[in-house]
Amino acid sequence: MSQKKPQMQVEQKVPENIVKKTARDTKLREAVAKRRTERLAANKTRRAQWDKNAQAYENEYKAADKSLIDNIRKAKSEGGFYVPAESKLILVVRIRGINTLNPQVRQTLRLLKLRQLHNAAFVRVNKATIEMIRKVEPYVTYGYPSRAVIKNLIYKRGYAKINGQRIPITNNNVIEQQLGKVGIHSIEDLIHEIVTVGPNFKEANRFLWAFKLRGPRGGFIAKRKSFINQGDWGNREDLINDLVKRMI
Amino acid sequence: MTSVPLVSVFSADDSSKVTAKHIPLPAVFQTPIRPDIVSFVHTNIAKNRRQAHAVNPQAGMQHSAESWGTGRAVARIPRVSGSGTHRSGQAAFGNQCRKGRMSLPIKVWRRWHRRVNIKQKRHAAATAVAATGIVPLVLARGHRISQVPQIPLVVEDKIESYEKTTDALNFLKRFGAFEDVQKVVSTKVVRAGISKQRGKKYRVRKGPLVVYFNENAKLLKAFRNVPGVEVVNVTRLNLLQLAPGGQLGRFVIWTQSAFAHLDKLFGTYRYTSIIKDGYQLLRPLITNPDLARIINSNQVQEKVQPAKTTKVLHEVQKKNPLKNSKAMDRLNPYAKKQRAAAVAAIKANTKGTKKIKKNKALKKASRAAYNKVAASLNDATKAAVQEEQDIKVKYFSVQKGAAQTE
Repeated sequence: MSQKKPQMQVEQKVPENIVKKTARDTKLREAVAKRRTERLAANKTRRAQWDKNAQAYENEYKAADKSLIDNIRKAKSEGGFYVPAESKLILVVRIRGINTLNPQVRQTLRLLKLRQLHNAAFVRVNKATIEMIRKVEPYVTYGYPSRAVIKNLIYKRGYAKINGQRIPITNNNVIEQQLGKVGIHSIEDLIHEIVTVGPNFKEANRFLWAFKLRGPRGGFIAKRKSFINQGDWGNREDLINDLVKRMI
Repeated sequence: MTSVPLVSVFSADDSSKVTAKHIPLPAVFQTPIRPDIVSFVHTNIAKNRRQAHAVNPQAGMQHSAESWGTGRAVARIPRVSGSGTHRSGQAAFGNQCRKGRMSLPIKVWRRWHRRVNIKQKRHAAATAVAATGIVPLVLARGHRISQVPQIPLVVEDKIESYEKTTDALNFLKRFGAFEDVQKVVSTKVVRAGISKQRGKKYRVRKGPLVVYFNENAKLLKAFRNVPGVEVVNVTRLNLLQLAPGGQLGRFVIWTQSAFAHLDKLFGTYRYTSIIKDGYQLLRPLITNPDLARIINSNQVQEKVQPAKTTKVLHEVQKKNPLKNSKAMDRLNPYAKKQRAAAVAAIKANTKGTKKIKKNKALKKASRAAYNKVAASLNDATKAAVQEEQDIKVKYFSVQKGAAQTE
């Protein structure tokens, strides 16, 4: 007379681990989603600001061009000459290799960020930098870059120095992270700072890695001679733009 | 720890019958498995059975060899003195020479034995015993234990009174240990190398280890002739038998009294050992093996930092913004408007200009005039060409004629 044993009531319990983990995971997912919406909204306002800035700079450049032309015309009409201000910015390009260099020249080239053949770098013009460039004159060619060349250099060959690494400038976060605190948020801001040699030129130029250019299509004339002597090294003023266009 | 692992003691005659249920496992079997200690102790202890040997101290040196010095167009190695035989003048003594003595000849006073700290030896033994109770380790060591009813296998003391080998064999067969013995038999091979001429002809595997307790047990003789089986008293457990080759997990068959003696031998986590004076079993580094539970516990999760996201600052490949409009728009949203403005400007520039209407009549007339000129020109050129050809023919025919005459 065996009595039927009562069925053991087993409630389907979910293990504690899994309960805790799912709770945690949903919380994390919600946080991520929230961050995303915030980020997207922030990006929208940022992009609007970049747009606005770029537009403002374009107007500024147009105005600067126009004022130059107006001044020249005015001076001509008065029978005089208009001498525009000397350029505040120099683009230096290294045209000599690394062998058999005088140690002082070697060091100065390093200070100018020109560690390699065909490296180019922007340099602010002041007494100190003029002296430096004079020291390395036979090994470099330099001149006053135009706005278009500056723009092309930064867009096509622009790399940033972040934590000692050479990072391509593929988006404005790269710029924002390093230069946001000095008010440079986008690539157009950066270009403007370089072109006008603004108050934060030091940071902006420091941020830029040296431009690694290719050898000029069509070649140099004669690197052993100075530009003045129908060669290549030294100051070639505005003609640096023609050279760099062939090297970009 | 409120729950203790339990073990059954099996009847010697019937492997399905259990004489004592639920005996608690001795604390030794809870020792953390430390293969590092075992391997260290084993490599040293294994050296203690060695017998001193040496090379004959005079080997290779029983010559009055002397170097001939320089100036005789031979190497400066000592050479055998005398004459009248091939051997004279040959090189001697050096390790590089034929018939020379070896470099650093072995001496009997080489340090053959190693001492190991007692505590290390004891920890190693404890770990080795613990490993005999872990099925995966025993399997990994290569024992055939798939038919064995329980690991650790504990059997009543009756087997200690076995005198006949048949009894021993039948016992092993009953408990599924015979497969291990068969493995030993079938894998007995002649040893490679010269040791076979020095008394170690066969390489034999290790089979089960039978551990007993009572000193006047007769089972030693019964199990002695079974290949692979070793018998040892529990008070004299040997690491070289518990972990042969330094490998943990020997298949061990315990008698009930031997099993019970282990607590006295090694002590427990509550009491130090009586026999190994003052010895305390190794404690594990962590007592809770449930890592998932630990990681997911509130205490750990409170302190845990949020997971790092691998956020890359820049795109993997740099595209040229001057050519790639998508890359450009990413950097400069105003560029899109500039492009649109440029296109609009071109359109605007060409807006006012009229399309030049084609005057068909004019076209026809000019075509006719051109053809006339072309034709007249053609006549002139035709005449010129013909003239040239006539001259050529004349010239060549003259030549031909000249050749023929010569």
